[in-house]
Amino acid sequence: MPGPSVRFRGVSVALGGQRILEGVTFDVAAGGVHCIVGPNGGGKTTLVRALLGQAPFTGQITLEGVKDPVIGYAPQSLDIDRSLPFTVLDALAVMNQRRPAFFGRARKDRAAQDSALKRVGLADKARSLFGVLSGGERQRILFAQALIPTPDLLIMDEPTANLDDEGSALIETMVKEISAAGTTVIWVNHDLDQVRRAAGAITSISRTAAALELRP
Amino acid sequence: MNGFYASIRAGFEALAKMGVLPDTFFLQFVGNAAIAALVFGPLLGVLGTMVVVKRMAFFSQAIGNAALTGVSIGVLLGEPATAPYMSTFAFCILFGLLLRYTQQRTSLSNDVLIGVFLSISLAIGASLLLFVSARMNTHVLENILFGSILTVSPTDLNILLGVAALALVVGGPLYNHMLLSSFNASLAEARGVPVRLVEYAFVLLITIVTVACVKIIGAVLVEALLVIPAAAARNVSRSLREFVVYSIVIATISALIGIVVPMKYDIPVPSGGAIILVAASFFAFTAVLRNMLFRFRATP
Repeated sequence: MPGPSVRFRGVSVALGGQRILEGVTFDVAAGGVHCIVGPNGGGKTTLVRALLGQAPFTGQITLEGVKDPVIGYAPQSLDIDRSLPFTVLDALAVMNQRRPAFFGRARKDRAAQDSALKRVGLADKARSLFGVLSGGERQRILFAQALIPTPDLLIMDEPTANLDDEGSALIETMVKEISAAGTTVIWVNHDLDQVRRAAGAITSISRTAAALELRP
Repeated sequence: MNGFYASIRAGFEALAKMGVLPDTFFLQFVGNAAIAALVFGPLLGVLGTMVVVKRMAFFSQAIGNAALTGVSIGVLLGEPATAPYMSTFAFCILFGLLLRYTQQRTSLSNDVLIGVFLSISLAIGASLLLFVSARMNTHVLENILFGSILTVSPTDLNILLGVAALALVVGGPLYNHMLLSSFNASLAEARGVPVRLVEYAFVLLITIVTVACVKIIGAVLVEALLVIPAAAARNVSRSLREFVVYSIVIATISALIGIVVPMKYDIPVPSGGAIILVAASFFAFTAVLRNMLFRFRATP
């Protein structure tokens, strides 16, 4: 069953007296990969925050087709002190389970966590300290946590920004697989070559202009 | 609860008779202080890991200083100088919530804002304390600042146990949420964590635990037992579990040694100072150990 479709209708966001987005209108098809591109400071992340209900907006954002969809979110970064004794499994436990992470992983969550790590190619780093991972590996962990539980709608805010070619290609392949399995993917991405390869639809957003829908 | 505490003290005395514990455990107030240490050691050990992760060491310092004001207000309002809990809890909770509220509504960085609040709380506390010092014994004043095990009463133990139970019930289920909120608030919210509520809950936890421990460790030093054991544990830990377990062990052992050794060897230092000095020794030891381990691992 495909994930939800998403409709943005006249979405405007003003923060601190400054207008960040104005009248953004576009549709995201159910089960597709929809990339959002645009200049730095153009409001892409703000749009994601509005979609997540974390930024006040006017207009309408509606999810249709799935009742109470599971939403996965892969942010740009994690503000974690690199010298802290957090292993990759600790980080996943903090993000994905209710049981206090220092008690170890909850038995019911282990399979999903192991599977997500395997999917992003970091199963061998499970007990490594999070702080010693490269920037690209940390972003793969952030992508992995967004897959637990399997999302109906996956929102990614530039998860490939710090990745090397291999890591970026891995994420691209996984996004295609996830989308093929029915998940709707909204992907904020700077890499236009990757966007052309992966996106079923593209929307360009600049600070003041309404969304411009493009096709790859 | 008095019977419960008496039975634990009887256990201490039995162990002292067998030579397992020092003979200072025959003294009732040492037994009470040891019971308190067995409660607040683990409590501060776990909370300390969160304080270190969330970089809020100075926040707990500000609350400790606010406790000075709370105690002074309590004395002014007629509460007993040895246990002005109502005023101290009320003032510190108000102070903590106001600080958190201001943090969320200003563009000032956390360290600047906490520095401002810390200075204000110390200034008010010191001024009021000098004002009310005429009404109390100098030793009571000293105890408030640097802690004392001599005055730990069953009432103090009841309050400490109550606070520990509350911390367990509230803090346990919210532990991951509290950490995730500081790592990435947006991700936390996307995962259904009520970030603002969780942050206020954390502030309340730190506040009530700090106030409950002021009696023994002292208002000036209570923050140190939140931070130093966790910092020492961080030096030698390789996972979150080790971090928390080592922090609990170091906090508890520091508290017990800090209580017992000055009594046993008649060293004239306040309990708070002794506890923090022991914890600081652990920190120095683990820092050296970490350095050696790094060198050892770096050697081909």
